[in-house]
Amino acid sequence: MANKFIYQPKSKQNPYQLNTERPQIMWIDLNSAFATAEQQAHPTLRGKPMGVTNRLSKECCVIAASYEAKALGIKVGCRRSEALELCPEFIMLETDPPKYHSVYKKLFNIMKDYSPDVKMKSIDEGIIDFHGTDSMRKGRSLQDIGAEIKSRVLTEIGDYTKINIGIAPNRFLAKTAAGLNKPDGLDTIDYKNLIDVYKTLELQDLNGIADGYGSRLRANNIFTTIDFLNASDDFLKKRVFRSINGLYWHRRLRGYEIDDSDTNLGMVGRQWVVKNPSNDQDYLRSCLHFLTETTGMKLRYRNVEARGVCVWLQFNNGEFFKDKRTYKTSVYSNQDIWLRVTRLFDNRPKHLVVRTIGLYLYNLEASQRNQVSLFDEDKKADFLTKAIDEINDFYGTFTVYSADTLEGTKHVKQKIPFGGTEYFNLLLKKA
Amino acid sequence: MNPTIEINKSVDVITKFCVNGTVNSRVVPCKMLFGGREIVFTKLGMLHPTGKGKKMIHVFDVSDENNDYRLEFDAERLSWTLMAIVPGGSDG
Repeated sequence: MANKFIYQPKSKQNPYQLNTERPQIMWIDLNSAFATAEQQAHPTLRGKPMGVTNRLSKECCVIAASYEAKALGIKVGCRRSEALELCPEFIMLETDPPKYHSVYKKLFNIMKDYSPDVKMKSIDEGIIDFHGTDSMRKGRSLQDIGAEIKSRVLTEIGDYTKINIGIAPNRFLAKTAAGLNKPDGLDTIDYKNLIDVYKTLELQDLNGIADGYGSRLRANNIFTTIDFLNASDDFLKKRVFRSINGLYWHRRLRGYEIDDSDTNLGMVGRQWVVKNPSNDQDYLRSCLHFLTETTGMKLRYRNVEARGVCVWLQFNNGEFFKDKRTYKTSVYSNQDIWLRVTRLFDNRPKHLVVRTIGLYLYNLEASQRNQVSLFDEDKKADFLTKAIDEINDFYGTFTVYSADTLEGTKHVKQKIPFGGTEYFNLLLKKA
Repeated sequence: MNPTIEINKSVDVITKFCVNGTVNSRVVPCKMLFGGREIVFTKLGMLHPTGKGKKMIHVFDVSDENNDYRLEFDAERLSWTLMAIVPGGSDG
């Protein structure tokens, strides 16, 4: 693999110093994944505007919309009432995590057949890195393999399931390529067509450039992707981004790999839009306790402990409450986390009606629980936590839980984890 | 809005087992007796496994071209349950 910190030499043929390496990264994207999975499962819903939400309610949001719904202007984040205004026939289903996990697993298994280096970026998209697989491929081009993967998806996942494939020298361009011809594209970007592709894209079409970076670029007279490409690394670093990010963008745009590193886990947490906004102490405490227990599960699933605890609330009148504290000792068991959470929660303005409730644990460090404590009390708490986790692992999450969360378990529904796929297996134990 | 009609009733199902099918077509429910009517399935939308506690459940989403049916096969009790129907004519 080309060294990410070395540019190709500047020449007449390559004035932008683009990466001329053969494209070896394939980005696979299952568009409208949840909606497509539902249409795959329900043939009568095919061709109809439909969407998926976490919990059906009067003002629930669309978390995935079918292509037919998107064509009518119903997008992710659109409220139910807005969607029905745009299309009175709009159909909304609740999420079905095992179904999506099955699609995810089948897609992952197909991808693994082509390279040992496969990484899922989220539930519906992943990367195959083909570096070092020439002998495995036996002279086949990546475009040929891409076509085969598409065909296998139709046979092994379902005849209604379509994917976008992008092939490029780096992850950024591969994702860009995957977005060029939705919903059934297979496109390649390399140094030969890179400039032509950039000419067709707006600045904010670039993955990673949203309103914030967009305004920053425009404020520095960068209005098009070609202007962006023309900007020097020094200008981007010192004037536009005022950080190393400028240098990263300079390289990323030219097809050099900059995004192949894993990010560190910074925090674990949960938030929940209160089903019936209230200031009822018992109701809120029970729901928060439930959120605390699921956060504790996530924490132990990642085998880390936390020193910092934060509780935040959003009230019906628009006000916000946040209280956080860092302790000298770390927490690991549900009981210890709840003890700290409840202290912070008690500091809230109690008369206000709570609309959203959330907590997160930060200052994470690797768990030390394999070292037996000298103190009996700690030992007992550790054994209890381990025993409960094992029971829940075997018989399904929330087989054994704190009685205080009884009310919360009725109301709080586990959500589809967007972004990472780390908690998918944990989520499925509850499903 | 949500057209799903919850049923949750045990049903009789005739199933075909294919030697050469792919994972998606190795086991296919063909007919079901429900409410005194015989329903013939023409399409298998999706098949996926799921866990209920320690039990393995195989979920078959099938269609008779008019409606969609969610059938669950309990691998421990070897029983079929019709969980839900999505009427085909439903528009919201």
